[in-house]
Amino acid sequence: MHNRRTFLATSGAMLGAAIGGLAAHAPKNAFGQSAAKNAGAAQLPESKVNSQTSSLPNGTGLPTGWRGFRKLDAHNHVMQAIQSPGADWTPVYNLIEAAEFLGIEKLYCSRPLTGGVMAEIDAVRAANDTILAAMQRFPDKIEGFCFIQPGNGPAALDEIERCLDAGMVGVKLYNQFKYNHPAVFPIAERCIQHQIPLLGHSAYLTDPKTLAAQPQTSNSLEFGLLSKRYPELILILGHINGGGDWEWAIKGLKDSPNVYVDTSGSVQEDDAIGRCVRELGHKRVLFATDLSMEGGVGKILSADLTEQQRDDIFYGNFQAILERRRK
Amino acid sequence: MTPESITPEIIFDMSAYLGPYPFRRLSSTTAAARIEQMDAHGIDYALVSSLPAVFYRDAQQGDEQLFTEVADHQNRLLPVATVNPKYVGWQHDLEQALKTPRLTALALWPEHHGYRLNDEHGQAALRAAAEHRLPVVLTQRLEDRRQRHHWDQANDLTVASLTEAAAVDPKLKFVLRNWVGLSGGAIRDAGLTNRCLIDFSRLQVLMTKDVPKLIETLGPQPIAYGSHTPFDYYGPSLVKLANLQALYPQDYSKFAWQNAARFFELELTPAAKTS
Repeated sequence: MHNRRTFLATSGAMLGAAIGGLAAHAPKNAFGQSAAKNAGAAQLPESKVNSQTSSLPNGTGLPTGWRGFRKLDAHNHVMQAIQSPGADWTPVYNLIEAAEFLGIEKLYCSRPLTGGVMAEIDAVRAANDTILAAMQRFPDKIEGFCFIQPGNGPAALDEIERCLDAGMVGVKLYNQFKYNHPAVFPIAERCIQHQIPLLGHSAYLTDPKTLAAQPQTSNSLEFGLLSKRYPELILILGHINGGGDWEWAIKGLKDSPNVYVDTSGSVQEDDAIGRCVRELGHKRVLFATDLSMEGGVGKILSADLTEQQRDDIFYGNFQAILERRRK
Repeated sequence: MTPESITPEIIFDMSAYLGPYPFRRLSSTTAAARIEQMDAHGIDYALVSSLPAVFYRDAQQGDEQLFTEVADHQNRLLPVATVNPKYVGWQHDLEQALKTPRLTALALWPEHHGYRLNDEHGQAALRAAAEHRLPVVLTQRLEDRRQRHHWDQANDLTVASLTEAAAVDPKLKFVLRNWVGLSGGAIRDAGLTNRCLIDFSRLQVLMTKDVPKLIETLGPQPIAYGSHTPFDYYGPSLVKLANLQALYPQDYSKFAWQNAARFFELELTPAAKTS
């Protein structure tokens, strides 16, 4: 019998506690337990998750065995200061639980400072400490992207080194500067030096209200300008479905052959993935969710792709990027 | 119980559209194409409304196209009428629509048609729906505002507008498509627990637990499968349905079709699919 009770029981204490948020909102007799808020931090062992992914229902209308397809989520986040004493880790447990359900092997996480903040270096370090804490807690599941605010100058470069030394695998930029701004160039050069990916927040925003809130967000043409200056840079345009006109974004990348796109974002529209593949080539497309995890997996599963294209997008393309890193 | 034995024989999609959309090319707009997509994804039935009826000045012209399209597919597609209560003759249009075989619900688009659910036009439409015992379909949004065409000025519908509409007549029932931000408490307090059907096309089962939170407050009966196709891929909603199957095996058939069948008072059997 594969139901919620047995899934949780056989997934071990870690996952049982990790779904505390879910348990709190589900019939108690179905879970047979309820995790008190914050209790998970004290209860979770450090051991690897005993995944029961293959025992979960496949569902109707989805490829057989889809939960077991190898997947790397190239763009995700931990946005809470979990490194603080007494912090609530529930959002991280929810992230791990969702990855388990969906068969995502690794989550590549960052914590950008949003809301128009021109973050000072201390705040940037604290944000990256969040990710380091998550990596330490879930070393088999969470990998880190180092958030950088380019305006911090040499301190930003030092922060990249600190994060890489601690095991992070890439750099994440948000919308403090357009990516063709000179402040970004040293960051790009440092990424090239280490052969690590540079993941950038992106959008072509057509809604005036949203645009006014983040005027420095880079669109695909601005990604193209950075890529043209640094053709050897492994540059990833973040969340093609993260808001903004994705059709515009794809067309804007046609003359920028060195820019990858990740598929994340809350928009689940048909046929965004197919159009990325047709117009950019599937090798430039990377699976990611940016916290929209069920939709993120689902749209790849029902996109018009060959099995090889699907496997490359879910796993192979990003794995190949990671293998380019200089050790 | 094995996983196979809890796999439902039917999936009812409460959230689908026919016809072109003015601001973006959609991959399938005809009834035949919709059936083909449904077959490919294991969907038995779909509640369909007209997209042109949202954008034509005279919504009834869009409905005529819809009713013609579904006439040969009544065994799979259940039509939803659309009225614009600011347009002349809408009451007559509704009377005509009521003659359509298997007419299942009435869609209102206050943001697109330029009225509010609590003004005289909205109130009149709601009262007409109650009189004819037609569930009212309210779609919170068609598209994410961050990508919309500059002619698209429609705001998202709000929970407050829904609860105000619910107060017009206690007989009114609501079909809520493509919503987020629904509070189970607000729905319960508005007396809508047994008067609404909510699709989870834009809600999350995992992570933010939107659907489990609603189930905790309202029980499983208001929750139903909806795809928001052809705007969205089928995959996201089917993944969520599979996750509900893992978490609530005893209620899975309710989410997949039984809640919708009960809500719309339909007798459903598995549809004959071509693949």
